[in-house]
Amino acid sequence: MENVPGARRHVIEVEGLTKRYGAHLAVDDVGFTVAEGETFGVLGVNGAGKTTTVECLQGLRRPDGGRMRVLGLDPRTAGSQLRALVGSQLQDSALPDRLRVDEAVLLFGDGDRRSADQLLDTWNLAELGRSSFASLSGGQRQRLFIALALLNEPRVVFFDELTQGLDPLARGEVWAAIREVRDRGTTVVLVTHFMDEAEALCDRVAVMRGGRIVDAGTPAQLIARHARLTSVTFTPPVSFDPATLATLPGVDTVERHGERIRVVGTNQLIAPVCAAVLGDDQLGPPDLRVHHPDLEDALIALISDPGTDGSTAAAPGRSLEGVS
Amino acid sequence: MRSLLRLAATELKLFVREPMVLTFVFAFPVLTVLILGGVFDDDDPNFEGALPSDYYVAAYIGVVIAAIGLVMLPVHLASYRERGVLRRFDVSHYPRWALPAAWILVAMAITLVAIVVLLVTGHLVYGLPEPDNLLGVAVGTLLGAFAFISIGIALGMALPSARSAQGLGMLLFFPFFLLGGAGPPPDAMGDPMSTIANAVPLTHVVRSIQEPWLDLGSPTGHLAVLAALAVIATTGWVTLSTRTTD
Repeated sequence: MENVPGARRHVIEVEGLTKRYGAHLAVDDVGFTVAEGETFGVLGVNGAGKTTTVECLQGLRRPDGGRMRVLGLDPRTAGSQLRALVGSQLQDSALPDRLRVDEAVLLFGDGDRRSADQLLDTWNLAELGRSSFASLSGGQRQRLFIALALLNEPRVVFFDELTQGLDPLARGEVWAAIREVRDRGTTVVLVTHFMDEAEALCDRVAVMRGGRIVDAGTPAQLIARHARLTSVTFTPPVSFDPATLATLPGVDTVERHGERIRVVGTNQLIAPVCAAVLGDDQLGPPDLRVHHPDLEDALIALISDPGTDGSTAAAPGRSLEGVS
Repeated sequence: MRSLLRLAATELKLFVREPMVLTFVFAFPVLTVLILGGVFDDDDPNFEGALPSDYYVAAYIGVVIAAIGLVMLPVHLASYRERGVLRRFDVSHYPRWALPAAWILVAMAITLVAIVVLLVTGHLVYGLPEPDNLLGVAVGTLLGAFAFISIGIALGMALPSARSAQGLGMLLFFPFFLLGGAGPPPDAMGDPMSTIANAVPLTHVVRSIQEPWLDLGSPTGHLAVLAALAVIATTGWVTLSTRTTD
């Protein structure tokens, strides 16, 4: 895990990280690196070991084995030094109900009223200054937590399940805030089980399953590796014979779901299928829908494939240098 | 140090905004004063020669100290853990001991204010006796409050939820309350009960205040027990608060 000359510096290095809870192996030989300024996603379903992994990196849990460096420091021994350099939003954390927004910023910051006001302005929280934590909406709470995580102007910031339980509008607000953090050059580690979130925000992601990293790379690389199939769905014209679709180039399967036809195959199926369906009727079916493979398809393929349970194809603890 | 004071000031503000807790800590001891001071006849022989209303003054103070240490603090800190507030503090610039340390300051301040409220009420209703040894009373009160605040913080750091803290706190509070000096006087208790009463930590708080106040004897033994309790509880909470989550 040496830094390559000319390449961006690694601010996080993890090798062979292992953490047990009794007989349960929560994190099993995990390794990855995160480059400076990168937004790195840790993905997987609930219980995959994502939170345990990042909590070990923040010095909040003591791993049973492996090597970790965050900004060159070992979180096991340099916890308080690291605290000054990283920012965190932990899953399921809260503030006292009756604490006001401006009081929270003063309490967790350096206590300077002017810099607190400035921070509230930056994160669009100024008008909520006198509101109590209990009265904030989910999106407002997360905006406050992002602001608190950035109070010490950290070089690395950890966000764990920031948008869980938020409505789409609030999620949009939080995404915009994370983009702003990223654009300032801060390295972001984002734990999420929402694939659209990872695809929209992350430069690179690692997918965890059963405590292991089953694959890592850019979202595009993971999609290309694990989700190549495109689908086209539509209600055919009455005169249309779906059987003709099966012979078209790129088509794997043709299924009928009630009135609608679903054609699945490689990306190149779209043009011939559309041409065949349009025929003389230049308007075509009004409900024609094309679904390109996305990160969610890749994740579902990765976590439902018995070969990627970490015991065979997972290449445990392998260096992910090649994908950075 | 400045940030510790800022934390303590914020916590004190939050405490004042919690009317229910405020009621328990301030109103319950005042009710105790009004009831206990009027229960016994002035010439009842069970009070080591003192007037019953005088005898119970130290017990009122004990009730305040027990309410804060056994109920208010454990419930407050355990609810912080349960709700994820301690997790937020874990990733802040505050060291792990800062919140408990701030609470020692806050709880000491609340204890002193509650005791003043109580003594003023007691004085207005029954009249208070002049303390025989004011310094001794102050030492007993401060050491007793510190020991029970430390116990409260240790309980709060150890218990998983506000509900469990409330349950255990009440389970300790009422026997302590009844046997520790606010119930029947030791001379009126049978031997077995009196032995049990002597093992209750609150008894040592009440005797440490009562003996110098009414000149009933030397409280050194009781003060030693309180000091030992304070050391054990402080060691307990420091250990609990600095350990990394497993």
